[in-house]
Amino acid sequence: MNTFAEQFPIVFQALNVGFLQTLKLFAVTLLGAIPLGLIISFGSMSRFKPLSMLVRVIVWIVRGTPLMLQLLIIFYFPGLVFGKQLWGGGESGRFIASAVAFILNYACYFSEIYRGGIQGVPVGQQEAGQVLGLSKTQIFFRITLMQMIKRIVPPMSNEIITLVKDTSLARIIALQEIIWAGQAFMKGSQGISGAIWPLFFTGVYYLIFSGVLTLLFGWVEKKLSYFKV
Amino acid sequence: MAILEVKNINKSFGRNHVLRGIDFTLEQGEVLSIIGSSGSGKTTLLRCLNSLEFADEGKIIVNGETIFDGSVNKRPSEKELMQKRLHFGLVFQNFNLFPQYSVLDNVTLAPRLLTKDSREQIEREALELLESVGLADKRNNYPCELSGGQQQRVAIARALAMKPNILCFDEPTSALDPELTGEVLKVIRSLADRHMTMIIVTHEMSFAHDVSDEIIFMDGGVIAARGGPAILDNPTSDRLKAFLTSF
Ligand SMILES: Nc1ncnc2c1ncn2[C@@H]1O[C@H](COP(=O)(O)OP(=O)(O)OP(=O)(O)O)[C@@H](O)[C@H]1O
Ligand SMILES: [Mg+2]
Repeated sequence: MNTFAEQFPIVFQALNVGFLQTLKLFAVTLLGAIPLGLIISFGSMSRFKPLSMLVRVIVWIVRGTPLMLQLLIIFYFPGLVFGKQLWGGGESGRFIASAVAFILNYACYFSEIYRGGIQGVPVGQQEAGQVLGLSKTQIFFRITLMQMIKRIVPPMSNEIITLVKDTSLARIIALQEIIWAGQAFMKGSQGISGAIWPLFFTGVYYLIFSGVLTLLFGWVEKKLSYFKV
Repeated sequence: MAILEVKNINKSFGRNHVLRGIDFTLEQGEVLSIIGSSGSGKTTLLRCLNSLEFADEGKIIVNGETIFDGSVNKRPSEKELMQKRLHFGLVFQNFNLFPQYSVLDNVTLAPRLLTKDSREQIEREALELLESVGLADKRNNYPCELSGGQQQRVAIARALAMKPNILCFDEPTSALDPELTGEVLKVIRSLADRHMTMIIVTHEMSFAHDVSDEIIFMDGGVIAARGGPAILDNPTSDRLKAFLTSF
């Protein structure tokens, strides 16, 4: 199969399957890292010094080392040390290991964003609520939260768009995401070999996906632009 | 009976003894102005009255009810605190309006959450308050669309919406351009005319002179001079005299 027209349907099909895995990793990472990041941010702001120190050291380590390295360690470490594949074998094991690494990594980045968002709301806002007689819960939900959200949307959208592209790092432990699917046609797959264009073509998927997210976040920011913080 | 009795309030931040035995009383419908140089403890005093800060010693009594007693060690519960804070309103130097709410919602937020009144009634009263500060036409605007003077007038309406017994102002015009102070002072003056009980921390001497029933001069955490507005014309203490000549 040598003509582009012959190759395209096969490649397209394979890339779609890979992209589905990319999307899955993306979605699972967000689902895990968005709440975990909040817990980590509370930990790092804890008044109990040993806890906040510990959390900050962990965040520093996770943010200070490459995600690719974390992926490799999380995937291989249990097997090397305990002699046993903690994550299970095959594609599902690789997916779980990837998800754990991505969630941990992104939760640490998100936690810093949340912390900035929470601490960025002036104390005067809280005090204005207090002198009106509002409770702490009312102050959080009615006053602080919205201002926090407005503050974190721009940095969060940056991180989330970075995540789209970072999912390709899971290729290092052979997760069958879209880059892996594109590369397969170089080595040879389904009767196509030595084809490099499928790998380049994966870029189109990333562009479309990050483009859609950019539009979405732009819309959210616009929705929130009716007030200034 | 005085509406407010403040007895021997002492407050330290670490080793910094900020309030050193503050005593005064305030009658219903009176206006008390507090003047004094920077760092003399004026803001701290207002914050103690509004339970944003807790004194180490002393008593605060509103309408005969002790709302703070330094000799009682127990920290008040959140419910008790919310209750105590309702006696006072506080207008901040930098307004602290809630940016995500319209002018009307800024005023109605607390009554909607804390009173059982119907929404219609709350909004009607809020509009009357906005009318009285001259901003009814801005009810659907957001704070970022208002000038400083307008924001401060909304803040005054917001504080009044919870019907405090005593309304406190912490340098309400200090963050404003000079040409905008007049409109805010006018609103405060009209409240005085309607016999709102108020405590006003201010650097506007001629305003304090005109509007006050009593003036307290604070210096180094103590009340260094007190009396009617006349003490500004004929200062009774050397420290007050020195302070006044700095204006
Ligand atoms: N939260 C705090 N922690 C530590 N020190 C504080 C705190 N708040 C106020 N102080 C100190 O208390 C002293 C009195 O401050 P305060 O703000 O009451 O003065 P002020 O009379 O309002 O001054 P200004 O005219 O500048 O507003 C100052 O020395 C200040 O540094
Ligand atoms: Mg002050």
